[in-house]
Amino acid sequence: MKILTFSSRASALILAASLAFPAWTQTAATTSYAIKRGRVFTLAGPPIENGTVLIRDGKIAAVGAGIAIPSDAQVIDATGLEVYPGMFDPVTQIGLNEVSAVSATVDVSELGDYNPELIAATAVNPASAHIPITRANGITEVIAAPGTSGFDLQSGGLIDGQASAFNLAGWTMDEMQINRSVAMVINWPSIQTRTFDFATFSIKEKPYADVKKDYDKSVNALGDWMDRARHYAQAKEKGSPALYERDLKLEALVPVVEGKLPVLVVADEARDIRNAVDFCTKQNLRMILGSGAEAWKVKDLLRDKKIPVVLGPTNRLPEQEDTPYDKPYTEPSELFAAGIPIAFASFGTAFSRRLPQYAGTAVAYGLPHDEALKAVMLNAAQMFGLADQLGTLEPGKLANVIVTNGDPLELQTQVRYLFIKGQLTSTDNKHRDLYEQYRKRPQPAR
Amino acid sequence: MNHRLPRRSVPMFAMVLCAAILIGWAYTARGEGGEPRYFAVKGARIVPVSGAVIENGTVVVAKGLIQAVGTNVAIPAEAWVIDGAGLTVYPGLIDAGTNIGLAQDDDGKKPARGPGASGPEDRPGTTPWRVAADELKTDDKRIESWRNAGFTTVLTVPEGGIFPGQATVIDLGGERAGDYVVRPRASVPVSFKPVGGFFGFPDSLMGTIAYVRQVLDDTAWYTQAEPIYQTNPTKTERVPYDRTEFVLNRALQSNEIVLLPANNTIQIMRGIRLADEWKVRAVLYGGQQGYEVAAALAASKIPVLVNLKWPERAKDGDPEAEQNLRELRFRDRAPGTPAALAKAGVKFGLYSGGLEGPKDIFKNLKRATDAGLTPDAALRAMTLDSADILGLGDRLGSIAPGKIANLVVADGDIFNEKTKVKHVFVDGRWFQIHEEAAPEKPGEKKPDDDDGARSRQAKGGEGVGR
Amino acid sequence: MKRALFCAAVLFFTICMPVATQAQNPGTIFIQNATLLTVTHGNIEHGSILIRDGKIAAVGADLKAPEGAAIIDATGQFVMPGIIDCHSHIAVDGSVNEGGPAVSSMANIADVLNPDDIDIYRDLAGGVTTANILHGSANPIGGQTVVIKLRWGKPASDLPFQGALPGIKFALGENPKRSNFPALPGAQPRYPGTRLGVEEVIRQAFIEAREYKKQWDDYNQRKAAGEQNLIPPRRNVQLDPLVGVMEGKRYVHAHCYRADEILMLIRVANEFGFKVRTFQHVLEGYRIADEIAASGAGGSTFSDWWAYKMEAFDAIPYNAALMTERGVIVSVNSDDAQEARQLNQEAAKSMKNGGLSANDALKLITLNPAIQLGIDARAGSIDVGKDADLAIYNRDPLSVYAVVQKTLIDGQVYFDRQKDIAARATLAAEKQTLLDKEKKAAEAKKAEEKSEKKPETKPDKKKKPPQDDGESVQSGVAGGAR
Repeated sequence: MKILTFSSRASALILAASLAFPAWTQTAATTSYAIKRGRVFTLAGPPIENGTVLIRDGKIAAVGAGIAIPSDAQVIDATGLEVYPGMFDPVTQIGLNEVSAVSATVDVSELGDYNPELIAATAVNPASAHIPITRANGITEVIAAPGTSGFDLQSGGLIDGQASAFNLAGWTMDEMQINRSVAMVINWPSIQTRTFDFATFSIKEKPYADVKKDYDKSVNALGDWMDRARHYAQAKEKGSPALYERDLKLEALVPVVEGKLPVLVVADEARDIRNAVDFCTKQNLRMILGSGAEAWKVKDLLRDKKIPVVLGPTNRLPEQEDTPYDKPYTEPSELFAAGIPIAFASFGTAFSRRLPQYAGTAVAYGLPHDEALKAVMLNAAQMFGLADQLGTLEPGKLANVIVTNGDPLELQTQVRYLFIKGQLTSTDNKHRDLYEQYRKRPQPAR
Repeated sequence: MNHRLPRRSVPMFAMVLCAAILIGWAYTARGEGGEPRYFAVKGARIVPVSGAVIENGTVVVAKGLIQAVGTNVAIPAEAWVIDGAGLTVYPGLIDAGTNIGLAQDDDGKKPARGPGASGPEDRPGTTPWRVAADELKTDDKRIESWRNAGFTTVLTVPEGGIFPGQATVIDLGGERAGDYVVRPRASVPVSFKPVGGFFGFPDSLMGTIAYVRQVLDDTAWYTQAEPIYQTNPTKTERVPYDRTEFVLNRALQSNEIVLLPANNTIQIMRGIRLADEWKVRAVLYGGQQGYEVAAALAASKIPVLVNLKWPERAKDGDPEAEQNLRELRFRDRAPGTPAALAKAGVKFGLYSGGLEGPKDIFKNLKRATDAGLTPDAALRAMTLDSADILGLGDRLGSIAPGKIANLVVADGDIFNEKTKVKHVFVDGRWFQIHEEAAPEKPGEKKPDDDDGARSRQAKGGEGVGR
Repeated sequence: MKRALFCAAVLFFTICMPVATQAQNPGTIFIQNATLLTVTHGNIEHGSILIRDGKIAAVGADLKAPEGAAIIDATGQFVMPGIIDCHSHIAVDGSVNEGGPAVSSMANIADVLNPDDIDIYRDLAGGVTTANILHGSANPIGGQTVVIKLRWGKPASDLPFQGALPGIKFALGENPKRSNFPALPGAQPRYPGTRLGVEEVIRQAFIEAREYKKQWDDYNQRKAAGEQNLIPPRRNVQLDPLVGVMEGKRYVHAHCYRADEILMLIRVANEFGFKVRTFQHVLEGYRIADEIAASGAGGSTFSDWWAYKMEAFDAIPYNAALMTERGVIVSVNSDDAQEARQLNQEAAKSMKNGGLSANDALKLITLNPAIQLGIDARAGSIDVGKDADLAIYNRDPLSVYAVVQKTLIDGQVYFDRQKDIAARATLAAEKQTLLDKEKKAAEAKKAEEKSEKKPETKPDKKKKPPQDDGESVQSGVAGGAR
């Protein structure tokens, strides 16, 4: 395997840059690359043996076997390697959360229950250490979703804002951004009779009737918001600007009620999912289900309503004591077999790099390998309206490409080359730097 | 004594009875002695529990004790004779776990929110010196409703904390609170519920168990150290006073039973192990998963008080909440515990455990008998075995000469829901139980009872001897 | 009636044990024709294992099944030693933390083992056979700990790993100083609030323990010399385990993150004459791997967790590999019931992050934790004489695609994937039957209540129904089902 045909000065520059400026480790030198002699998985057709991928000006220029390589292209020899579209983690808090326990570094969920006008891209930190660490494992683009929770965060209010899609490389958010608003995030309220009361630090048991009342109130309030957004849209369209007050929140909901912006509804329990589907149907919203731990219980409903599912981590415990132990592992294949589009997501920050592991576990328990690849590279792009730009190795698409030394879902596989927006991007990151640094620590004096 | 006899033309028997009632009233009004101390229930079916059933027998009560029982017993002249034809006499029933007579805070026991304990030396949730007998309120309406159903004796248990106090065996009748008390310090109940809130000690089950262990160690130390000090005051450092050690030392030295909480299998097995480790005279309370570990219980020889409030699905719970198989099985099988324990030879009693009243107690008992507990075993558990477990088997729980005269006289099988309790004797005090009147339908006149006494719209009956 | 009872009992016992296979335990078991990952002496293709009375009796490629042996045909499959999870909180009844006092060494996990925790079964299905059940990290010195085997279906008394030394949990850093907890209204903050205080609490406790031990030694001496009327010292349940630590009879498992606090504990341990057995999490262990190796302590770490706390911000997924390189005995643990189901996957990551060989990666979850827990004479590899604790996978366990087929403990199959799947319908049917029964009973009760004309005599005082977690004789003991 040949190493980069790069001057060592450039690599030193990259190393220095990656230590100081995480997201900026892209080469400035060329914008034309040729990845050749690799096994190319376009996800738009069968794999191409001994294939070539040409990249120019940030996009994929050509893909095929035996295509001519332009003279100005920097050649990457991918002999014995595999070439794929970069992976896509469609629900994360990357850039919004650095150290979960340190609130100063967390911007995931604003105060209040209804914040539809807030947009994740506003606060994503391009210098987050999570960005180079995540892309080193082959994830080239993510969606940061406000209000969603990983294992170390509490979830937020009902509508926490709009999720933003961006590449995991760039100097500023303007450079990184793919689409500022890809979905409105709704945390579907859950009927929980057992809650942990932080005021007294004890478990409180509330009567179902009370909890149901609160739940109904929340759902009705959600409906009210949608109704008011419709009226606002109408007033805006038909009325004169003097006759209505500008309302940022309602304004933000207008594309939602017009069906132009999908809602990412985060729900796990079957009843919550059913109620959410019911709500979105009545309100005429385009729904994407997020997390969906019990989606398997309502798969007929999801299929009939054509609702795609962004699955939370495959590697999670079953929801109920009696649920079969492997249900979270088999769920992806179950949903796929039922004809429901699925994608995998980490719903986290630090665990975003586990995305291929989640897909791999699903394959272990029945999901076809090809489908698993699609579920981490392509399907989310389709769900969030980005399939024209991402998800396959086809000419005209964004050149987010990974070159690996094996099956990207397998645990030992390494990413050898990483392209984001058509730029060769270093896989160096804080973790590797610390490793190299401490590997070199001399033995302590005795 | 100035009695006016009613001048009515009624059957002789009724006249005598009315006279007796008025005489009794008069005595009650004066609130002094002079109540009848001698009774005989004649010609009844007698179920002694400690022996074979006696058809057509007689029980003689004298001065609070059972004087004689049998088919051919001498009835003292002074005795008030009750015709037992068609009636059955049982030992008074024992409810081995209540808080009858004790004041309850409206919101259950909430320890004062002060700074939490920082360690065992702060003695969190520990008030073993509280004795139920000292706090008894005899105006608790449950005394009457329990008694009307045939319960003559209950164990009443203080609540709140890990060592809430000492439980008392009371009989459900008397003038002053002290009359009720059969054994003031009958047992030391223990609870493993952490009292520390989130940040006080203990705030975990293991911390609570460790705390109890430490308290028992401290008590054992005091038991050893105090006598040494007292006999060598000039040679040994003075032993400090700790009220808990002092009180528990006395309790354990008098071999008081220690009630350990144990409802499911894990808790029962743990209870057996801890009882052995701590070398206390233990009785487990709860016991509802005894059906799984009856053999282990039998081998341990530890008695069990079984809570008759069988586990149920939460009434105000989420109707769509997933019920897990483990809990479903438990709820289904728990009523089979008494039968399983009986079969395995485990000594057990029964208690109401928070059931609203005797109606529910018998309803729940029926679930146990439906699940295989024989009526004999049920009766025994509710009488003699409970008495034994509480250390009072020599004087309670069966109809035998010398025992305290706690009796239930009913017109049929005591556990049959159609049976009516007619008379109850508590410590030889006679309570005549009258039916509750049914609400009157318009236009319908209620006929008088056969014996001529007026039906009363009362909660339970009033009887002689109050 | 008796016959019905007998049938009921039979039915009861066959259904009672959940999906666990019945404990046939025929005594002799022969696992045949698999790839054996022995961990200690290489991989054996087409290998077999003979098990007798719960122990591995023979291992090799040329074995023949003896007469009457129960055969497990593992053709095409992989057998590895059962996974040992060195940091687990499953199987605990109640809170895993006694968080009240700063030193909660009086609390003991062994008092509160819960054999009915479904996570035992789930972890078993993930190939785990032994777990180090630890107290939480709320205290600088926490409660006593116990090593268990995941013998699903057995009572609590049958869980502990016989012969394994007991442990105790220490915790350094942010958790014991409560830096990430909201302040409770009106609650007194608990000392320590800084790493300075954490050290002090530990030292102070051991100073007291030393004094306590001396008191007892003195007393025993004087008593043996025949002195009369001696009042013994008090027994102190909190200090007893610390004496055990100093006497080398109890292992210290110390939750820690930052390099400096790890060195601090090594120093404190030296002062009181004991060695830390394992540093748990030890996410900055890579910074001081040599010092850890020199101290003799093992390192039990995560594969790739980081950034959830400040002290985890410099954690790296190369930690296990780097520490291993420098001579530390390293294990990868879960600290989480789900993570424990995928420890084979987590171990595999160290092949990529730091270049460990496949066998060294396997050691992270087998032989190394066994050594750390002092049970390597009995577990951690496929060697003659060791307990037959084994996990059978359909492919190489270091692949993300590997699925556990069977898990054995002491030669008994405690998890069988095919049997689990086959039993689901039966269990679902039983559940439906019980649900229907309850529904019918509830409807009958409602009808009965409607038809009653007289209200039940109600006591005057309205008794509030007790809280579900109330516990007293009157309100019943909480602790529903098994």
